[in-house]
Amino acid sequence: MIKKNSLSFRIIKRVLTFTTLMFLLVLSLFYYFARNSIEESARENAIHIADNAVAKIEQELQPMEKIPEVVAGLMEIDPPHEDSLFLLVETILEKNQNVSGAAIAFEPNFFPDKGLYYSPYAYRDGDRIHSFSLGDENYEYFYMDWYLIPKMLDTAYWTEPYYDEGGGEMLMSTYSVPFYMRRDGERVFAGIATVDVSLDWLTETVAEIEIFETGYAFMLSRNGVAVTYPRREYIMNESLFSMAAERDSELLREIGQDMIAGNSQFREHGMNDTGRFWIYYTPLPSSGWSIGVVYPDAEMFATLRSITTLMIILVLGGLIVLTILTVQIVNRISAPLSQFSNSARLVAEGNFDVKLPKIRKTLELRELHDAFSHMQEELAEYVVNLKETTAAKEKIESELRIAREIQLAMIPHSFPPYPDLPQVDLYAVLRSAREVGGDLYDFFVVDQDKFVFAIGDVSGKGVPASLFMAVTRTLLRTIADKEQSPSKIMAALNKSLSFNNESNMFVTFFLGVMNLKTGQLSYVNAGHNPPVLISKTKETKMFEPAKTIPLGLYEEFEYPEHSMTLEPGDKLFSYTDGVTEAENVRDDLFDEDRMLKVLEENKDKSPKDLINVMMHAIEAHVQDHPQSDDITMMTVSFKGLDHGNTQNKADE
Amino acid sequence: MRKIILFACTVLSAGLLTTRASEPLVFSPHWMPQAQFAGFYVAQDQGFYKEAGVDVEIIHPSPTVSSVDFLERGTADVITQFLMTALTASNEGLDLVNIGQLSQHSAILFASKKSSGIETIEDFEGKKVGVWRGGFREVPMAMLMDQGVDVNWVSVLWSVNLFLEDGVDLMTMMWYNEYNQLYLSGLDRDEVNTFFVADYGFDVPEDGIYTLASTRDEREKELRAFVEASIRGWDYASENQDYTVSLIVDMMRQANIPANKAHQRWMLKRILDLQAPGEKEVRKTELHPDDYQMAVEILKEREIIERILPYEEFFQPVCSFNE
Repeated sequence: MIKKNSLSFRIIKRVLTFTTLMFLLVLSLFYYFARNSIEESARENAIHIADNAVAKIEQELQPMEKIPEVVAGLMEIDPPHEDSLFLLVETILEKNQNVSGAAIAFEPNFFPDKGLYYSPYAYRDGDRIHSFSLGDENYEYFYMDWYLIPKMLDTAYWTEPYYDEGGGEMLMSTYSVPFYMRRDGERVFAGIATVDVSLDWLTETVAEIEIFETGYAFMLSRNGVAVTYPRREYIMNESLFSMAAERDSELLREIGQDMIAGNSQFREHGMNDTGRFWIYYTPLPSSGWSIGVVYPDAEMFATLRSITTLMIILVLGGLIVLTILTVQIVNRISAPLSQFSNSARLVAEGNFDVKLPKIRKTLELRELHDAFSHMQEELAEYVVNLKETTAAKEKIESELRIAREIQLAMIPHSFPPYPDLPQVDLYAVLRSAREVGGDLYDFFVVDQDKFVFAIGDVSGKGVPASLFMAVTRTLLRTIADKEQSPSKIMAALNKSLSFNNESNMFVTFFLGVMNLKTGQLSYVNAGHNPPVLISKTKETKMFEPAKTIPLGLYEEFEYPEHSMTLEPGDKLFSYTDGVTEAENVRDDLFDEDRMLKVLEENKDKSPKDLINVMMHAIEAHVQDHPQSDDITMMTVSFKGLDHGNTQNKADE
Repeated sequence: MRKIILFACTVLSAGLLTTRASEPLVFSPHWMPQAQFAGFYVAQDQGFYKEAGVDVEIIHPSPTVSSVDFLERGTADVITQFLMTALTASNEGLDLVNIGQLSQHSAILFASKKSSGIETIEDFEGKKVGVWRGGFREVPMAMLMDQGVDVNWVSVLWSVNLFLEDGVDLMTMMWYNEYNQLYLSGLDRDEVNTFFVADYGFDVPEDGIYTLASTRDEREKELRAFVEASIRGWDYASENQDYTVSLIVDMMRQANIPANKAHQRWMLKRILDLQAPGEKEVRKTELHPDDYQMAVEILKEREIIERILPYEEFFQPVCSFNE
């Protein structure tokens, strides 16, 4: 089953929507234009048919019209004797086979000796031609349409069609022409000259018109009566208006009115007994009758409809095939994609040997395959490397951890260090930036009353610095065993460190020796940050900055020794540049001013508390910024010989 | 009320008509078959005459022989006729009597095309007015005389073509016939102005059933049965108009008379309208004395008749109107 969000579904949906819309558009346009063109050709055809029929009928009717017109002219210009008019009408019939009857009807009592009615009339009886004078009390022709209407209108007139009196079921019409004669020098209306014309040939002409299967032609009289009509029972019985009334069709009535008004038009017929129809109508110029040609819509557009149906079926079939093909193509493309996604999942789980789908044809997929395969190989190789590197790194880290422990073990870290020496209190801290660092501090007691302490900072960081630091510390202990004065210790230490110092490493170093009995402090500063003296009575103050170079640079350098006397309660705060140069994210240094301020504000605190406060201050300044340098602080507090114990208690 | 009258007739005839007349009763309407006479055809077709015990034969007049001629010659025993024509015939010596009046109103009207601009009777002055040749012209002519309008009368037969072709400005027409022919020739009703004579005090009833006074006495039972069954036929026609119209159109086509349902349907409805009493206090098949008086006075004034037959002599109904 195709899932709703799948590629195939979306492609098919779009492709199908688009193609269906295209087909609909094309079909609609085709149908519209084809329909218009069929309608146009039907219109032309209808006009052609109707005009042909009209021409054919007129060709017959017009010569008929000439006959009474000539008679009328004759009667006015040079009328024959009234008795010879019988011969005239008989001759008319003899010479004109299409004429069924002819009359020259006079006004009442026109010829006094002929009585009220005088109308020489000839008619056919089979092959023979008879004549008599028309009119008696039962046939008062003066009131008949064929006489009265042309008389009243003073114009020629084709009567409404009628069935002939002879009962021959012959449909007739009479063409009547009024004529005038001279009476006592005056031109007076004298009567009506007529010919009777059988309309059978006319109805045949119209009935012969065939339009498709159910189309037809018909003719209406001026009153809208069906003169010819495919339904025989309608002829002379129904008018288009009676049909409209029975069907309650306004449109049909309107068409009838337009037809008898003598208009020509091709239009939708609207209704008929069997569906939609089209009609073209045009009048007969002579009689004013109208011919209508009716086209059944269903048949007019039958071919178009079947073609359209066929096209729709083909299009539907095409759309189905298109759908199937699209599904196949998209599936062929997307199946490897889902296999690739499976492979990717397996690769992610670490299975780099997973088999990739085989791609033969699609270029893009082949590229994907190659890239995937390359990624697989690279990943595998990378992971192997990573494993090795990680192992190596872990080894180093483990060694460094051990090295750190060793290094930390090298400096004293149990406080208070000398519980049996009340004269001195001390606290120190060393926080390396890395596993191992180059800072160091140390202190020890020599000869029971000499307290040696030192703090240093090796150039560089990491393992080399830590090794140099270890060497420095070891040398310090060794040398301090033999030498008493700080300057000598420093000189010896410098000499040892400088010797074979290929790597040009050095260490800033501060070394102090305190006489625990007198408070006498001798010290040497080899390029180290000057310690701070915190005195109870005096202002917290930094030592003079060192004017000497660090140890390990120059073998023969002599380091001058300074001395001072500490009052009981004085504290000496020494540190490395990791304190003053501790940076926060904005590259602001912690700096000496901040440090001195903290020291001043906490001058009464014990060495441990003081260092903790300082550490908090540094942490507050640095915040989350990673530590870049080792931080080492050491505070030595001299308590004096006598005050040792009491001072300790007060501090707590 | 109608049912009660019929009932009275039925009881009377059923009891008296025990012996069958040896000869059929020949009936002629006064024109060719059309819905104007629907009740008679329906009664015949539905066997109402037979049920009433009367054997009726229907014949039709021709353009040369009228129903009055039939009556005079003895070709028909009972006929329908226009009141005016019957009065004229009576005046000329034919001893005919009205045995039942069908129409109670005049169907005559003057029609003009709206396009002619004739909107009132005054506009008629000097206009060409088509009027029937036969006996139907008296009432419209009397009406225009009464209105003091002088027109140019043009005699016509039954065709409206002269009017359609504008050969005349106005034409007399029957509401149920020619007036509708205008419509069925494509002239819309709102294109035609009508002037009904009834609206100008000339609501003269028209179609009635006539027989010779002698026949009325000799064959009263049969005539009563005939009139009663004919009324039943009219009632049936009124209630079954589709059937009636089909029956009429079939008859007309058999007689080779141009016919269509639309026109016959119109005619049937209008004839039924004309038979209804309307505002007149008249009972079914009754000729109201006032209507009779109006008719004879018109004829006398126009010097068509000389003597006026007493109402009771002219109108001798065969059915009682006792309710």
